[in-house]
Amino acid sequence: MATVSRYSRPASLAEAFALLDRPGAVVLGGGTTLNAVASAGPIEVVDLQALGLDRIEPLDGGAVRIGARATLQRLAEAEGLPAALREAARRELPNTLRAQATLAGTIVTADPESELLAVLLVHDAAVAVSGAARTEVVPLAELLAALPLSPGRVVTAVTIDATGASAVARAGRTRADRPIVAAAARVGPDGARRLALSGVAATPVLVEEPDEVDPPSDFRGSGAYRRALAEVLASRAQEALP
Amino acid sequence: MIVTVTLNGRPRSVACAPGETLLSLLRRQGCFSVRFGSETGETGAAAVLLDGRLVSAEVLLAAQADGHEVTTVESLSDPGGELHPIQRALVEAGALQSGYSAGATALAAKALLDRDPDPSDAEIRDALSGVLDRETGYVKVVEAVRRAAAALRGEELQPVEPIVVARLAGAGDDAAPVPPDAPAAVPRLVPSADVPETAVVGKPALKVDALRLVKGNPVFTDDVELRGLLHAKVLRSPHAHARIVAIDDAKARALPGVHAVLHHGNTPRVKYASGGQSWPNPHPWDQVCFDDKVRHVGDRVAAVAADTVELAEEACRLIEVAYEVLPAVFDENDALAKGAPVIHDEPDSIGIVDAGRNVAAHIEGGTVTDIDAVLAGAGHVFEQTYRVQQVQACPIEPHVTIGWLDEDERLVLRSSTQVPFHVRRMLSPLLGIPAKRIRVIKPRIGGGFGAKQEMLIEDIVGHLVLATGRPVRLELTREEELVSSRTRHAQTLTFRTGVDHDGRLVAQDLRVVANTGPYGTHGFTVQSVTGLRGLSAYNCAAKRYTCDVVYSNRPVAGAFRGYGAPQAHFALESHMDDIARALDLDPVEFRRRNWVRAGDPLDIAPRLGERGAVEEIAPEDLPHVVSCGTEECVAQALRAIGWSRRGDPDWRRPPDRPSVRRGIGFAFCMHGTGIPLVDMGSSSIKLNDDGSFNLLVGATDLGTGADTVLAQIAAEVLGVGVDDILVYAADTDLTPFDTGAYASSTTYISGSAVKKAAEAARARIAARAARLLDVEDAGEIHLRGRRAWAADGRSVSLEDVALNSLHTEDQEQIIGTASHVSGDSPSPFAAQLAAVEVDVETGEVTVEKLVMAVDCGVAINPITASGQVEGGMMQALGYALTEEIVLDDAGRPLNARIGPYWIYRADDVPPTEVFLVETLEPTGPFGAKAVGEIPIDGVAPAVRNAILDATGVAIDAIPLTPERVWRALQVAAVHT
Repeated sequence: MATVSRYSRPASLAEAFALLDRPGAVVLGGGTTLNAVASAGPIEVVDLQALGLDRIEPLDGGAVRIGARATLQRLAEAEGLPAALREAARRELPNTLRAQATLAGTIVTADPESELLAVLLVHDAAVAVSGAARTEVVPLAELLAALPLSPGRVVTAVTIDATGASAVARAGRTRADRPIVAAAARVGPDGARRLALSGVAATPVLVEEPDEVDPPSDFRGSGAYRRALAEVLASRAQEALP
Repeated sequence: MIVTVTLNGRPRSVACAPGETLLSLLRRQGCFSVRFGSETGETGAAAVLLDGRLVSAEVLLAAQADGHEVTTVESLSDPGGELHPIQRALVEAGALQSGYSAGATALAAKALLDRDPDPSDAEIRDALSGVLDRETGYVKVVEAVRRAAAALRGEELQPVEPIVVARLAGAGDDAAPVPPDAPAAVPRLVPSADVPETAVVGKPALKVDALRLVKGNPVFTDDVELRGLLHAKVLRSPHAHARIVAIDDAKARALPGVHAVLHHGNTPRVKYASGGQSWPNPHPWDQVCFDDKVRHVGDRVAAVAADTVELAEEACRLIEVAYEVLPAVFDENDALAKGAPVIHDEPDSIGIVDAGRNVAAHIEGGTVTDIDAVLAGAGHVFEQTYRVQQVQACPIEPHVTIGWLDEDERLVLRSSTQVPFHVRRMLSPLLGIPAKRIRVIKPRIGGGFGAKQEMLIEDIVGHLVLATGRPVRLELTREEELVSSRTRHAQTLTFRTGVDHDGRLVAQDLRVVANTGPYGTHGFTVQSVTGLRGLSAYNCAAKRYTCDVVYSNRPVAGAFRGYGAPQAHFALESHMDDIARALDLDPVEFRRRNWVRAGDPLDIAPRLGERGAVEEIAPEDLPHVVSCGTEECVAQALRAIGWSRRGDPDWRRPPDRPSVRRGIGFAFCMHGTGIPLVDMGSSSIKLNDDGSFNLLVGATDLGTGADTVLAQIAAEVLGVGVDDILVYAADTDLTPFDTGAYASSTTYISGSAVKKAAEAARARIAARAARLLDVEDAGEIHLRGRRAWAADGRSVSLEDVALNSLHTEDQEQIIGTASHVSGDSPSPFAAQLAAVEVDVETGEVTVEKLVMAVDCGVAINPITASGQVEGGMMQALGYALTEEIVLDDAGRPLNARIGPYWIYRADDVPPTEVFLVETLEPTGPFGAKAVGEIPIDGVAPAVRNAILDATGVAIDAIPLTPERVWRALQVAAVHT
C-alpha cells in the first residue's frame, strides 16, 4: 500500500490547491486504487471529501453535470443518468468498493478495460479540470490521451449528454468479470452515432469503425482476439440501439 | 494525528499515523471481526459500514473515516447476548464454513436490508458481490440473506432441512419429481432403506463453532495481541533461477527497530520436504530454510523481524544481494528436454530420482507389464493428450503464523495450518530443538484447501523467535499467497485406451508429465493419486501408469483439494466422451458398460500406494468396491439437468439467438476416503460433572464443519445433543495425534476414532449406571436424552452418573480414548452435470446450471455436506473456465491479484443443485464416506464435454477461456 506521510482534508478548493502545491502531494479520491498500490515514495494525500463535489444535477438541453467525487454507487443509483451508464458504474467494481471509488478516480486511473469510461465517451463526456488559476473543460477522449494530469490539477466535474439512447455489448471470462473488450454505442436525438471501445488500446477510445484499432495482447486476450471481439461487439451494441 | 469516529455507536478518538488503514485501526480497537484478505480490498474480508455503506477497510485510510460512523459486526449482538436476525439466518442456513469473512457478510446483508426489506435475488447477489467466498459457492449465503429478510419482515421461518427425494434408479418415470419451488440451498436427500434411524447423525445440526464465527469473535490465528510482537517479512527472489553470489545484510541490521535478519549465510542447512505428510516424509528432500540458490520468482532469499511491518519491508530492501542469473525453464516438457537448465545441481539433496534430467520423482505401476501388446490386440485404440494448468487455492485467509516462547521457554506456534502435528515433527530438525520443545496450535482457520497442508512459513517464524526471544508474526501478502505458497500441479496427460467391439475397455495406458515447480514437496504423492484416479473408475484388465514429476522454475506445486484427482478426471472424462462420440455411443451408456460397481476389484490402488508399488497381488487381496450409489446418482442428476433437452434442436440452437449453442456435459467421478494404513486419527472423550463431555481431537477443521460432524458422532453414541459436546481440537500439547485434514479423511478416519472413543466412554457410563440402577448386565443400559436407561424403563441422568463417578464412590474420570487407522479407502461416487451456452462469435462459455449427485455414504450432516459440494463445484468452475497462474517470459507472475486471477463472486455463479444419495458404507462411522474433495473432480470435464455437445468441438486444455474456445471454434469453422 501507499506510504502516506501526511493526510489533509481541505475545506475549500483554494485550500486544496495550496496543499497540492507541496512536494509529493496527490489528490485522494475514494482511495480504492491509491491506497491499494505501493507508492514510489512517501506521498501527501489531499482528501477532497469535504468539498461537496458529489452533486448530480440536470442541466439544460439534456445534459447532466456529475460532481467528480460522486461515488460509483451514486452513479449506479442516480435515476437521471442513462441506464447504460448506471449499469456500467455498477459493473465497474464490486459493492465493497463501489461506495468508495469516485468518478474522478475512475477517469484518472484510466483503466484500458473500463466499461464505464467507454460509456462516458459515447455520452460526449466533458471533464472540468481545475487548477489554482483557471478551470478548463476538456473532452474525455482528449483528457484520457493526455494523462496523467499535470501536478496541482483536479478533476471537479464531468458533464455528459444524457440524450439519445446507448447500449453496451461486452465479452469476458465470466458475467461479472471486467470485460476483455466492451463496445458502447449511442445514437443521439439528431441521429448522430458514437462508438467507443474498451480493452483495445492504452485507454478506452472513441472510434469511427471497430477495425481501426490495433489492440495490444495480454493473458486474457491476444491482439487478434481483441480485434475480432471489437467487431462483433460493436455491431451488437449498435444493433441494440433503437 | 487524531481520528474521531463513531464506532459502533460510541464516539472514539484514536491516535494514528496518516497512512494507517481503517483495518489496522479497527483491529487495534479490538474489532477482530475485520480481517485481512488482500492489500487491494478485493476479498471483502475487511468490509465495514461507513455511514451505513459497505466499504473495504483495507483500502480506506483511518483518516478518511474521521468524522464518520463506522459499524462492525461486533455491534450486532452483545457478548453472551442474542444473535441479530441476520446472524441467526447465517447460522441456520449453513452459510458459514470457515467464517473468516462472516462479519463482512453480515454487514453486507445489513447494508442491503436496512435499505430494502424485500430485495430481489439479483439485489442480494449484488450486495454480496464484494465479499468473496472460496468455500460455500454462495448458495447458502444468498439463502441466509433471504431468510434474514423474511425474519426482519416478521415472517415465520421454516427449519432448514434436506428435501427427501424418492429413488429413481429402477423406478422408471413414476418417481415423484423434486418440487419446483424447492430452495437450491438445501440438498435433495435420497435415503437408503439400509440406513438405520439415528437421533443426531444424519441431521442438520448447527455448526458447533457458529456462534463465535458469526459474532466475529477473535478466533483466528491473527486475532491475538502479544506484548513486544515483532513483524516478519520475507525478501523474495526477483529471478526465476539464480545463484546468490553474495548477500550483505549490514545495512538492514543497522536499521533501528530491526531485530533479526536470516539468510543462507547464518541459518543451518538442513534438507527437508515441506509437504505436510506422515513420517518419513516422501522424497525428494530438496529444500533448506534459506538456500544460496533461488528457483522461482518469489522464492525465499532472506527474512527479517522488526518492530513494524514497514520497518521489516524497509530492511528487506536494504539487504544487498548479488545474483548470477541462470537460464530458466517453465514448461514440464521443456524441462525434460536435453540441455534444459538443471534446477537442482546441489550435491546434498536427498532422494531426487534424476536431478540432471530435472526428474524429482518417477512413478510406474500397473496390472500388466506390456501394455503395448494388449493395445495392439484391441478392436479400437484411442490416443489423446490433455493439458491442465497451474492454479492456486486462494483461501481468503492467507498463510499466517504467530510464534512466541512460553513461560517454560518452549516455542509455541499459533498457525493457520491443516497439519499441526506434522509441522511440529518437521520443524524440530530445522530449528535444532527437540519436538517436545515445540507446541503447535491450530485455531479457527480461514480456509486451507491443501495449500496449508504444508510446513510453509512456520520454520521462518520459529527461527526468528529463537533468534530474538520475542513474539514474531508473519502473514503472507495476497501476491505471496498466490505465487509463493502452494498450487495445483500443471500436467500433460496422455491416455491410450483400447476398446473392444462391445464398447468395453480392454487397455488403459496413462502417461503423465507433471510440473512440480522447483521443489518436490507433494510431487510423488499427488501424482500417485493422478494415476489412481485416472485408472480406477472403469473396469479394465490391462492398466499401466507412468509418470515423471518434473522440476521447473514455476511457483511451487503441492497439495490442493483433489490432490491429483482433478487433473486425472479432466483427462479421463474428456477421453471417455471422445471415445463414446467416435464409437457413436451415448456418453453415459458407454461409461455404464465400464464403470466399477459394488463387488468389483480396485486393482490399481495397491500398485501405486504411498508405501510403494506391488506388482503381484492375489485377487482376494485386492480392495473391492463395497458401497456404490452410482446408478442412483446418475439417474437423479440426469433428470435434474434436463438431459433429454439434448434432443431438442430449438433448445440447442435458440432461433432468436443465432450466436448461441447449448449443450450438456457429463462426468463420472470417483474419489477415495483417506490413505489406507497411513492416515490416522485419535480422540479422547471425558465426562464432566454436569453430564456434558469434552471431546478432544487432533483433527483439523478448516471451516469444513469437521468439528461439528465429529461432535454429532460423539453425541449419537453418548445419547446427548451436540450442545453437550465441547470440542477442542488440533493442539499438539493438549489433544491426541491426528495426521491432519487432507485426503478426504476427517469424517471417515477421525470420525471412526471419535466413535470408538465415545463407545469406550459409553461402556464406563453403562457399567456405573448399571450399578446405580441395580441392573446386573451393563449391556442392557442404553444412553438417550442425557440419561442412561435400563431395559425396564428406569433411568439415571448422566449428571448423576458423573457426580457419582467423580465425587461419591469408587471415583474415576470416565474417559474414552481411541485411535483409528483403516486398511480401506472406500470410494465416494458422483455424477457431475453441466449445462452450458457457448457464444460462437466471442467464445464465451456461460454455465447455465451445475448439478452434482454424490454418494458419500451416510452424510453425517447433510447441510454441511452439501455446503462442501456447492463450494467445491465453484472452485472447480474456476479451474474449468478462468483460473491460471500466468507468467511472463522471465517467470514473473502477470496476474498475482484476485481480480486478474479471478475468483467467482456471488453475482457471477451459476445455479447449482446438489443430491446426496445415501448408501451404507460398512467401514465408515455410521455408514459415512468422504465428501470434501469429490466435488472438485468433475466440473472441468463436464463443462468441456458440454462445449463438445454444444458445438462439436473437443478442447483438450483448460482453462476454457473465451479466447481458447474462440480459437478452437475458428479452427473447426463453427460460425453463426
